[in-house]
Amino acid sequence: MRDAIKQSFRNNLWKENQVTRQILGICSILAVTNLMANTLVMGLGLMFVISCSSLTISLLRNYIPHRVRMIVQTFIIASYVIVVDIFIQANYPELSRALGPYVGLIITNCIIMGRAEAFAQKNTPFISLLDGLFAGLGYTIVLMVIAFVRELLGFGTLFGRNVNFIGLETWTIMVMPPAAFFIIGVMIWAAASMTMTRDKKAQSAPPALRPSEVKQASATSATAQ
Amino acid sequence: MREGYFYTIGFTFVSSVILTTILAVTNAVYMPRINQNEEIAFKGAILYVLDMHPTTKSEVVSMFAESIQQFQLAGIDVYARRDENLVIHSYALPLQGSGLWGMMEGYVGVSADSQTLLGIEFTKHNETPGLGGRIDERIYKEQFRGVPLGNLPIVHTEDLNAITGATSTSNAVLRIVNDTMNKVLPKLEVHHERRD
Amino acid sequence: MDGGPAISPIILLFAAIFTSNMVLANFLGMCSFISVSSEYKTASGLGKAVSLVMIVTTVINWLVYRFIVVPLGLDYLRYIIFIVVIAATVQIIEMAMDRYLPDLYMKLGIFLPLITVNCSILGISLFMIIRDYSLVQSLFFGLGSGLGWWLAISALAAIREKIAKNKLPLGLEGPAITFIITGIIALAFIGFSGIFIIQ
Repeated sequence: MRDAIKQSFRNNLWKENQVTRQILGICSILAVTNLMANTLVMGLGLMFVISCSSLTISLLRNYIPHRVRMIVQTFIIASYVIVVDIFIQANYPELSRALGPYVGLIITNCIIMGRAEAFAQKNTPFISLLDGLFAGLGYTIVLMVIAFVRELLGFGTLFGRNVNFIGLETWTIMVMPPAAFFIIGVMIWAAASMTMTRDKKAQSAPPALRPSEVKQASATSATAQ
Repeated sequence: MREGYFYTIGFTFVSSVILTTILAVTNAVYMPRINQNEEIAFKGAILYVLDMHPTTKSEVVSMFAESIQQFQLAGIDVYARRDENLVIHSYALPLQGSGLWGMMEGYVGVSADSQTLLGIEFTKHNETPGLGGRIDERIYKEQFRGVPLGNLPIVHTEDLNAITGATSTSNAVLRIVNDTMNKVLPKLEVHHERRD
Repeated sequence: MDGGPAISPIILLFAAIFTSNMVLANFLGMCSFISVSSEYKTASGLGKAVSLVMIVTTVINWLVYRFIVVPLGLDYLRYIIFIVVIAATVQIIEMAMDRYLPDLYMKLGIFLPLITVNCSILGISLFMIIRDYSLVQSLFFGLGSGLGWWLAISALAAIREKIAKNKLPLGLEGPAITFIITGIIALAFIGFSGIFIIQ
């Protein structure tokens, strides 16, 4: 059990990190990564949703009919997202105003569905909960790093506090969308090359889906429906 | 059994009913609080643009009740602030217009003689978080305090900076403020002189 | 809808394609954008399918929201309702296409299941609701966003095909260079901003 937890921790945070390794779930949250505070809230929201939905799906794993599996999972995920949305609206109205529709978009974050499909529906509740939590944590850490770079260089602030003591010119491009792509690209590059150098196997980076695989994937999901 | 037709339908039905109930309850429990937040946000915005700074939620409510008076001027809601001697100190006017992406709504405070802008605040907008959304930040809003209204339109200057990376939103804010000023200020001046 | 933003639908259309591209400026629909962009033909097919689904779902979601969700006070359930509408629409488009347009189905059919989980589709519906767009504005916004997504993924796929045979530094192949290319495309698209003065 302890080994399983340890392994899950290591895999989700580094070896199979959802963002840098599996290139998943970048969608919605990347948009708010030019401020650390917004990123943190979204990350925490995602961690809550992913752990709770993994737990729920794992608890129900023997009861969910295979045919409607996807839609039931989406329902569960969407319900938790709505809870988060209502909670933020009720307790942090300013944040809710600032984040707008981005909270709702957590629903379509591929990681949540990915962990449900790949892990929660095959494992016991406790370990699924932890797996979800670690996947969310690994994700949040990566995004916080991106937000750190963007906010620091773009605004000269961290969490809204001015740290630009020597009055350097701020870098407008960092607050604009392209910077997020550049930073994430460089992070994936660094993660990939570190692993490769260490392994000395010099394998190429995990290839993106080829068209044939897309056909296969869509065929599987089509039969699943 | 797990793949049976009735089981599938039954399961989907029961689970949707349960989830919907949970959500309906959550919504009902938090609704009063969300509505209250909205009211506080609205009153807080009025006070903020009139350069009053309550520190707690209850202070927002009491301060608003004490010194703010609402009246209609040519079909728009105007909020007047009276000081201790019941002399009108300033007015808050509603702002409304299209931002970069959608409607923006908020308030603008002007001094009683219509010569100085006291502050602006947006209560509703859809600008991008971290870019145009920064119109909610103090550092941006505070710039508007004390801007003279003598020669409109207001334009970006050394002391009134646009938001980095969000020029369109910043321009939209100035446009909305200028439009409101052009439309309402003349009427407000007439009203102010004719008041009891 | 009265009280909505007075933004011309045509401007909205072009803004959605160029200045506020769904993927390049809003990061919506990234997953399939990165993973299905190694081949131009496939990418372009997915782009067309996304555009089609986007237009249809924006209109249906707008009507559902305006005439069912709002009157019944189900605002808090809107995420679930939109997702169900999107899933059902995709399924119906798939069946209808299979039946009446078999040629098109052969080309686009395989992409349709992938689209249900594409963030950009839900994103458009949420954006149009929160921004109070009218039906016409929503239609043009949906159309523009779809076309913009198609344009972006086609551009990326075309570049990736060109560089596929080049030798890259260790670890930069695949996703890393794809993101950097996307960043450069996004940078280029910023050049469009300012040519459409909103209002």
